[in-house]
Amino acid sequence: MKEHSSLRREKPPIITKCALTALFLIGVLLLVSGLRGQRIIADDGFSSESAYRVIYSLSGHVGAVYRSHMKPDLDALEESDRAGVFSAARTLAVSAFETQSAGAGKDAEEAILLSAGREDETTLRLLYAAYLVSGPKINSSARKVIVAADSPEFRRQLLRCIVDDTLPLPAGSESAVGDLQGEAKKAMLMQVYFTATGSAGGQGAANANDFKKTVRDKGQQLLAFRMAARGEVSFLRQLITGHSKTIALLGIILLLDAVLLTLLMFSEKTWRFDIKWIFILLIVDFLLYFQMLPIVYMVIRSFFPEGGFTLDVFRRLYTEPINLEALKNTLISSFATMILGTLIAFPLAFLVGRTNLYGRKFFRSLFVITYMVPPYVGAMAWLRLMNPNVGTVNLWLRTLFGLSDAPGPLNVYTLSGMIWVLTTFYYPYAFITISRAMEKMDPSLEEASRVSGASPLKTLFTVTLPMMMPSLIGGALLVFISAASCYGIPSIVGINGNISTVTTRIVEYNGQSQAKMNDATALAVFLMAVALIILFISDVVLARKQYITVSGKSVRPSIVDLRRWRLPLTVMVCLFAVVMVVIPFTTILLTSLKGDIGKSVLDSGNFTLNNWTGIFTRNETISCLKNSLLFASCTATVGLVIACVMSYLMQRTRVRGRTIPNFLITLGSGTPSVVIALGLIITMRGNFGLDIYNTAWIMIIAYLIKYQMMGMRTVVSAMSQIHVSLEECSQVSGAGWLTTMRRVTGPLILPSIAAGWFLIFIPSFYELSMTALLYTGSTKTIGYQLFEYWTNHGEAMSCAMAFGILLIVVVLNFILGRLTRGEFSI
Amino acid sequence: MASVKISHITKSFGDNLVLKEFNDTFRDGEFVTLLGPSGCGKTTMLRIIAGFEKPTSGELYLDDLLVSGGKTFIPPEKRAIGMVFQSYAVWPHMNVFDNIAYPLAIRHTAKNEIRQNVERVLDIVHLKQYAERYPNQLSGGQQQRVALARALVAAPGLLLLDEPLSNLDAKLRESMRFEIKEIQKKTGITVVYVTHDQTEAMAMSDRIFLINRGVVQQSGTPEEIYNRPVNQFVADFLGKVDFFKGIAEEGRIVIPSMGGPVLPYHGDLRGNVDVAIRPENILFRDDGELCGALEAHYYLGDVEDCRVRVGDEIVRVIADGYGHASLNGRKEVRMHVRDMMVFKDDGALDEILMIRT
Repeated sequence: MKEHSSLRREKPPIITKCALTALFLIGVLLLVSGLRGQRIIADDGFSSESAYRVIYSLSGHVGAVYRSHMKPDLDALEESDRAGVFSAARTLAVSAFETQSAGAGKDAEEAILLSAGREDETTLRLLYAAYLVSGPKINSSARKVIVAADSPEFRRQLLRCIVDDTLPLPAGSESAVGDLQGEAKKAMLMQVYFTATGSAGGQGAANANDFKKTVRDKGQQLLAFRMAARGEVSFLRQLITGHSKTIALLGIILLLDAVLLTLLMFSEKTWRFDIKWIFILLIVDFLLYFQMLPIVYMVIRSFFPEGGFTLDVFRRLYTEPINLEALKNTLISSFATMILGTLIAFPLAFLVGRTNLYGRKFFRSLFVITYMVPPYVGAMAWLRLMNPNVGTVNLWLRTLFGLSDAPGPLNVYTLSGMIWVLTTFYYPYAFITISRAMEKMDPSLEEASRVSGASPLKTLFTVTLPMMMPSLIGGALLVFISAASCYGIPSIVGINGNISTVTTRIVEYNGQSQAKMNDATALAVFLMAVALIILFISDVVLARKQYITVSGKSVRPSIVDLRRWRLPLTVMVCLFAVVMVVIPFTTILLTSLKGDIGKSVLDSGNFTLNNWTGIFTRNETISCLKNSLLFASCTATVGLVIACVMSYLMQRTRVRGRTIPNFLITLGSGTPSVVIALGLIITMRGNFGLDIYNTAWIMIIAYLIKYQMMGMRTVVSAMSQIHVSLEECSQVSGAGWLTTMRRVTGPLILPSIAAGWFLIFIPSFYELSMTALLYTGSTKTIGYQLFEYWTNHGEAMSCAMAFGILLIVVVLNFILGRLTRGEFSI
Repeated sequence: MASVKISHITKSFGDNLVLKEFNDTFRDGEFVTLLGPSGCGKTTMLRIIAGFEKPTSGELYLDDLLVSGGKTFIPPEKRAIGMVFQSYAVWPHMNVFDNIAYPLAIRHTAKNEIRQNVERVLDIVHLKQYAERYPNQLSGGQQQRVALARALVAAPGLLLLDEPLSNLDAKLRESMRFEIKEIQKKTGITVVYVTHDQTEAMAMSDRIFLINRGVVQQSGTPEEIYNRPVNQFVADFLGKVDFFKGIAEEGRIVIPSMGGPVLPYHGDLRGNVDVAIRPENILFRDDGELCGALEAHYYLGDVEDCRVRVGDEIVRVIADGYGHASLNGRKEVRMHVRDMMVFKDDGALDEILMIRT
């Protein structure tokens, strides 16, 4: 037997070798043809490949339309005839534009380029259509300047500028667009032009999103016409050019897979193909494309914003006061939240986990549940409570201390107000981490100290605390990064207080001019760097320092008798719970029941259910709720499938490379939400083969990257607790792999699978940070809807909605708690 | 050194009575073992002595000072005892020296005195060269000795050991057994040792308390409880034993299931009895009173483990391994019972045999 396997090592089976080589060759072939496609596009002077893609996908149809109009054999045409055909095609394109009331965003520029040098009516109409579609917001002072300079000569000049980018700018527009370059400049000029001609400029801006969507659906037909006009309809050529980026990417991925497989097989020293590698490779490919590509591309973009290497983007972070302010605010608030949160969490975890406090179990689940509550709900509550003018707490304090009616004494719209709100929502992160470590600690370690003559307090400081240190730091860092990447709280608190953080800056900059997108990218890269450092510290440095304190026996932590402190401490924890949990949520509930939010709910006629019935009968609310439920279910289901595969690979096989996806998934969940979203935005709009921008898919993928790990950890840890002998026993009894999974493993891990599903579902359901960047009119979710309501409409109605969300989350939490008996990991 | 006086101690967790009326005194310098199957209450008794559990009723005196009982409760840190835990409980964030120095540091002992004392106990447990190491750099046996050194460093009068050897491998366990005994002899410390391993208990103890279901079944020297067990449980728990149903008469016992052989008996019991015979007390002798067919025999080196069918019963015989060749090929054997234990048949035997550990 042994000889056999060593023989195998010497000579790789020929089939595997061939397959590997084939895979490698296919990868190379795809890469080469992808690059070739790019070359063709470059040679033709086009910057976009979508034209080729469209002509490919519509070639049959368009070709027929074209021929029925033109009939000629293009190759046989003389140069002059070709020009005639070309002009006819442009006319067709214009009619396509106009009949479908759309042009093509970036692609429309291609149409304009085609029209270079022809300043005729057709070109103008083309440009107009293009503007309707792609015109980003124009700044109003520029508009005024241009409108003022409305002369035919000026227009002509401007048009030439747009078309060939050579002539000097007309005097009026220079100041407005002077410092812009490249694409951004072109786009701006185009707007300026159309504003100048006075043609229905407002329409495009008002409905930009709808236009973009129409363009995605219809705009490609225009390009199809144009390609038909150029006569490039050879199948292979269309395929290569139309999908050059996809093909090149596919080639790169296949090459990577082939290299990975070779390395795996080489390190295993057996040249046998393991079917499980396919699963690993599929997950790795998925994560590489949707997670690593956006992040890496974003980093590259931040150093090469216009193609050349420059540190300008980062320099701007320090020099622009608003960015510097955001950086400072983020660091200060996260650091303060971390310190405050840990100072709260440690004593609380000790009291609840290790002493004979009254009602420990109740308090524990109470504090854990806050972890699952959407942070912006809390922010809304505290805004109601600590509003400097009418905040409930401020009113109490003024009456209590006989203060004047001047605003204050507390003001939530400050940095410290924000820190307080952040703390109330992120201390549970530290609480859960610390109490889990505390409960797992071998009690005899502390008993040994007691026997050695140390009092319980002394033991706490000489044994318990030092041993908890890695978990304590881990929990603190988790609070830090969660606070730093939080969008909901700073956005709600910061609007009135004019406090910007890195996350609010990024969301604000998104979709604006190139320069601002560059700023957003740099801020995101900064946030990501902080997150990566923290992830490294807590997963590598601390994990190595983590003392293995779990004893073999079932651990029953020794309970410290508080004696005469028992009642006072219980009262203190009670008060804390009232302040942290009861008051905010009651405020939300009461506000939602008020007609006039300035008065008490008990005042006559002020109690009303109108807010509730109002908000939950609106069509928009219902459709947002449907969206949220649908997206979250999709995310949770896909995540769970991956989690099951991963847990099987991690716990039941020794196949090499099974930790690679695990590493990538951990990395993804450690990446701040806005960074994930921004990365997806700049890579998933067709420039890397796939265009899912402004669809539900991009949101589901973002949720998946961020929250998948929670589900995975739950299933993996459940799987690790099922001893492999249970499965082996079933196999020995004659059951096949499938029967064993169905009859033994499946039923045993089913509760954890359900729990994992909910752990992905709940945060995806009320997600805000990523949704704020990724939503469109048709993919708005309940979390964003609430946020919009809060900022634009009444507080009472948004409180009703917030409490509704809260109820849903609490019910889901209850189910989750039942499934896991209160033991879930973050 | 210290004595431990346990006066009518009972302990229950809720409705679950785990310790019933423990009443005895461990003398100064005595090596006492609490022995019993898992869940019998022996660890609870140890934790009551240490002060980690409060007795439900009864009193505990250390050196005639009331430490638990009534309204009095002295916490563990004030009892001046040493304890070694089953999991060793060596603190992973301190090196060996700091671990051992801890009990002295807590008492604000002078630095040089700490050094002296730690070096003294390090010497006792043969860990002198490991003082700077951290626990994760030590083997299980070494960690166990660190725990022992830590328990000894403050020179307590009483040392509590909670199954300290159960996580070690067989060879190491055997040598540690003698080391612990040596240390106890050298220091004259009172030791309370908890184990479920009867060999450990026999090898080290001055006195063994055999506990089952919270009740002390018998206490006495290893010799006493091995050779003169008071009931079937004790006989069964210590060593190997076979039980047979017999009828006691004047001067003899008849065992019907063996086809009615007669064993000489000079005790006072009459009527139905349980006869317990240890396999090493049956000798192959041609003039023996039992006659049977040799069913199987296993050569184990030092002994020969045999099964002999006598009537309807299978009797186990452990014979001298040296003469094993003489058994080869033999079918019929005669045996002599040189010693046996006789208990009144109270119908409890089957139940006792079911909880054999």
